[in-house]
Amino acid sequence: MAAIDIPEVLKFIDTTPPFSALTLAQQKQLLTGVELTYARQGEKLDLQGSHATLHLIRRGACEIRSDKGGLVDKLADGDCFGVSSVLAQNPDGLQVVVLEDSLIYRFQKSGFQAVVQESEDFALFFAHTRSSRIRKLSRAHATDLATPALQLSTSISQIMSRELVSAAPNESVQQAAARMTEHRVSSILVVDQQRLVGIVTDRDLRSRVLAVGASSELPLTDIMTANPASIDPRSLVMHAQTLMSERNIHHLPVVDTDQIPVGMVTAADLLRHQELSPLLLINQINRQTSVDSLREVCQQLPTLIVNLILTDMKTTDIGSVIAAISDSLTRRLIELGFEHYGEPPMAFQFIVFGSQARKDQSLGSDQDNGLMLSRTPNAEESQYFAKLGAFVCEGLAECGIRTCPGDIMASNAKWRLTQQGWSEAFAHWIEASSPSSLLNASIFFDIRCVYGDDRAISDLISAMQARVAKSSLFLATLTRTATATKPPLGFFRNFLLESSGEHKHQLDLKHQGLALINDLARIYGLGCKQYRVSTKERLEQAARERLMSADIARNLMDAWDELNELRLQVQRQHWQNTGKPSAYLDPSKLSSLERKHLKSTFAIIADGQTAALQRYARGYA
Amino acid sequence: MVKQWLKHWQHWRGQREDKIRPWQENSYLVLDMETTGLDPKQHQVISLGWVLIENGAIQLDTAQHLLLDSAEIDDESVGIHMITDADVLEQGRRHASVLRYLRQIMKDKVLVAHYAPLELGFLKSLWQTQPMPALSLHWLDTMQIEMQRRARAQEVIQEGGYRLGPCRERYGLPEYPGHDALTDAMATAELLLAQMAHYNHHDPSLQALLRTGGGRVRLATHKRITPDIKKPN
Repeated sequence: MAAIDIPEVLKFIDTTPPFSALTLAQQKQLLTGVELTYARQGEKLDLQGSHATLHLIRRGACEIRSDKGGLVDKLADGDCFGVSSVLAQNPDGLQVVVLEDSLIYRFQKSGFQAVVQESEDFALFFAHTRSSRIRKLSRAHATDLATPALQLSTSISQIMSRELVSAAPNESVQQAAARMTEHRVSSILVVDQQRLVGIVTDRDLRSRVLAVGASSELPLTDIMTANPASIDPRSLVMHAQTLMSERNIHHLPVVDTDQIPVGMVTAADLLRHQELSPLLLINQINRQTSVDSLREVCQQLPTLIVNLILTDMKTTDIGSVIAAISDSLTRRLIELGFEHYGEPPMAFQFIVFGSQARKDQSLGSDQDNGLMLSRTPNAEESQYFAKLGAFVCEGLAECGIRTCPGDIMASNAKWRLTQQGWSEAFAHWIEASSPSSLLNASIFFDIRCVYGDDRAISDLISAMQARVAKSSLFLATLTRTATATKPPLGFFRNFLLESSGEHKHQLDLKHQGLALINDLARIYGLGCKQYRVSTKERLEQAARERLMSADIARNLMDAWDELNELRLQVQRQHWQNTGKPSAYLDPSKLSSLERKHLKSTFAIIADGQTAALQRYARGYA
Repeated sequence: MVKQWLKHWQHWRGQREDKIRPWQENSYLVLDMETTGLDPKQHQVISLGWVLIENGAIQLDTAQHLLLDSAEIDDESVGIHMITDADVLEQGRRHASVLRYLRQIMKDKVLVAHYAPLELGFLKSLWQTQPMPALSLHWLDTMQIEMQRRARAQEVIQEGGYRLGPCRERYGLPEYPGHDALTDAMATAELLLAQMAHYNHHDPSLQALLRTGGGRVRLATHKRITPDIKKPN
C-alpha cells in the first residue's frame, strides 16, 4: 500500500497548495517514501543528510530563523520548509524551530526533485517561497541591529498591571474608596459575576461624590461609569493609546473575550513605556491654540518618525501613525481656522489625496488636499473658504508638511468644489482618458475624508467607481500610463542608475519602486467592487475579487513592504546626516545578498506590470 | 550443547541490548482491528489496519488495510447463504494468507495498540483459527502509557478521557473523522510519537517503555483446537 492510499493523507495533500494542483501520478511520486514525524515545542529541527529535504507541516507551528537568530518566517498547518536545503544545499543558514508541537511530513528528496523537474508551477511555487524568505532574511539581519527604542507593537499583556482591585456593584462609595487607598490605586473595577460592569476613578469620586455633596453610602452603581471602554490583552500598545486619546480617558481595563477583567493599563503605564509617543504628540496638537505653538510641537515629528523607523515596527503601522498625526494636525488647524474666521457658512468636507489618503506618508511627504462644499457658495461664502483653505494649508506647511508642487491644495480655488463639481472632475478624468490628463490626476483616485461627514465622500467614491466600471478604456489608459515607467532593472538584470546629476549612480526607491506598486494597486483597486485606499488593502482586495492571482498579490505586498522599509531606512539615514529626507539609494552600499533581493523585488514589479497590461490594456495597445 | 547455549545467550544479550537503546532504534508495528464486538471468544475480526514506525518516524508507505470479510461460518449461516465447502476452503485460505503475512511483518517488531489487551486477545484467538508457527513479541499500549504519564503528573482525567480521540486532543493532534482500522492505527502511531516526544524530556529506551505500559506475549496455535482435528463428542 502506498502512502497516497491512506485517506487522511490524500485528503490533506489534495487540499494543500501547491500539492493539490499536482496530478495523481505526481502526488504519488512525491509521496513515495514519505515519513510522518512529530516534533516537540522548542526543538530545533535537523535539516542535514537525509533530513535535508522538503517538509510539510500537517499540524502545528514552526518558525524559520536566520543563523543569527533573526525571525524570517512563521509557518503553520500546510506550510513547507526545507526547500533551500534541497535546491541550494541550505546556503542561507536557516534554522527551523518548533513553536508548537508539530506533526510534519518529511518527503524523499529524490521524489521532490523529480516532481520539481516535471511540474513548472510546482517548482515556481517553491522558487517564490524561497525568494520571499530570502527577502525576509535580509530584513531579519537588519532588525538584529536595531535597538527597540519605542515599542508600539508591544502587546498590552506585557505592560498591563495584573493586580486587580475590584468591588461589587452594591458596595458603598466609602468601601470602594477605602480599598483604593489601601491598594494605592487611582481606580477600582466594578465587577458583577466576574464580569466587568463599570469603573470608578479618583476623578469620579471627586466630581460625582464630593463636588456634589453626595453620600459616601451610595452604592457604586450610582456613580460608576457603566460599560467602560476596555481592551483585549493581545491588542497593541498603539491601540490602547488611540483608544485613550479618542475617549479622553486615563484608565483602560483589560478584559478577556468573556468580559472578565485580567488587567489594567493607565496612561501613566503608557508614559513609562515610552518617552516620546504619537499619543502624546496628538494630545499636544489637540491642546495648542495657535499656529505658532503647533509649529513648535510639530518640530518633534521628524524625531518621532525616526524613532519609529528605528524600532522594528511594521511599515504599515508607521504609515498609520503618521496618518493619525497628520489627520489630527489638519483637524486642529481647521478648528483654529473657525476661531479666526468664524463658523463655516455651510457643511463641508476636508479631503486628502495621495499618500496621506493611502496612509503611507514618511519623512518629508507633501500635502495633497481639497474641500468639498455642500452647495455652491455665494461670493462671500467663497471668500470664507478661500481664507480657511489658505489658513489650513499654510498651517500644515509651517508644521513641516510641505506644500504641494502641483498646487493640489484646499488653498487653490480649483480644488474647492461641490460634490457635483468633484463628480464632474472625476467624469472628465475618466472619460477624457488621455494619458496627459491622467498623469497628474491619478493621485485624486486615492481619497480619504479627514474632516466632515464621511458619507458624502463615500457617495462620491461610489459614483466614481461606477463610472470607472463603465469605461474599460479608462483602466486601459491608466494601466498604460502607470506601466510607462519600468522598474530600474536592465536587460542583464543589472540596476539602471541615474546617469547624471545630483543622484548619479543612485536608485530612486520612491519613484522607481514604491510609486510603481502604488500605481498598480490603484488600477486594480479601481477595478474592484469594494473601494480600498491603502496599497496593500487594494492588492488584498484584488486577490479576493480574483482580479489578480493570489501569488502576484502576495509577492507585490512583500515587495511593497520591503521597498517601503528600505526607503524609510534610507530616508532616516539621510535625515540624520543631512536633514533632508532623500529616498535615493546607492546600490553599491548594499551587500551582495541585499542587491540580489532588491533585484528580485524589481522583477516582481515588472511581473505585476505585465499582468496588469494583460488584464486591462490588451486590445488597446 | 555449549554452542546452543552460547546462541541462546547471544540472543538474550541481543534482545537486552535492543531494549536499552533509545526507542527509535526498534521497529514498531502499530495495529488496530475492527471487530464485531469486544470479546475475542465470541466476536470476530472484520479488518486489520497497521503502519510501521522506523527510525522514530511513521513510514506511510508501509500502511496496510486488510479485510477479513468472513464472520465465522457456522451451520446456520451455511443453511441461509448456501455457502459450499469450496467457499469455506477459499475463505480459510485467504484467512491463512493474511495471518501468515501479518506474522511475517510482526516478526522482530514491537506491537503497539491503543488498549492492547483487546488486540492481543483477538490475535491469540486468530492464532487458533489456523495452524501457525508460534511467535513471541513485545507489545506497548499507548493507553497504559498515557495513564501512567497522567498519574505521575497527578492529573485527573475525566471518564472516557483515555479513549484515542481525547488522548490525541491533549497533544494537539488533529481530529480524524474516519474510524476504520487503518485510520485508527495511524492515529495511534501519531499518539505514540507524541508520547515519546513528551517522555521526561529525553528519548526513553524500549525497556523503560515496556515497564510503563507493555509486556511480552506468545502467540501459538493450541494443538487441541486445530481445525483439522475434531474434538470427540
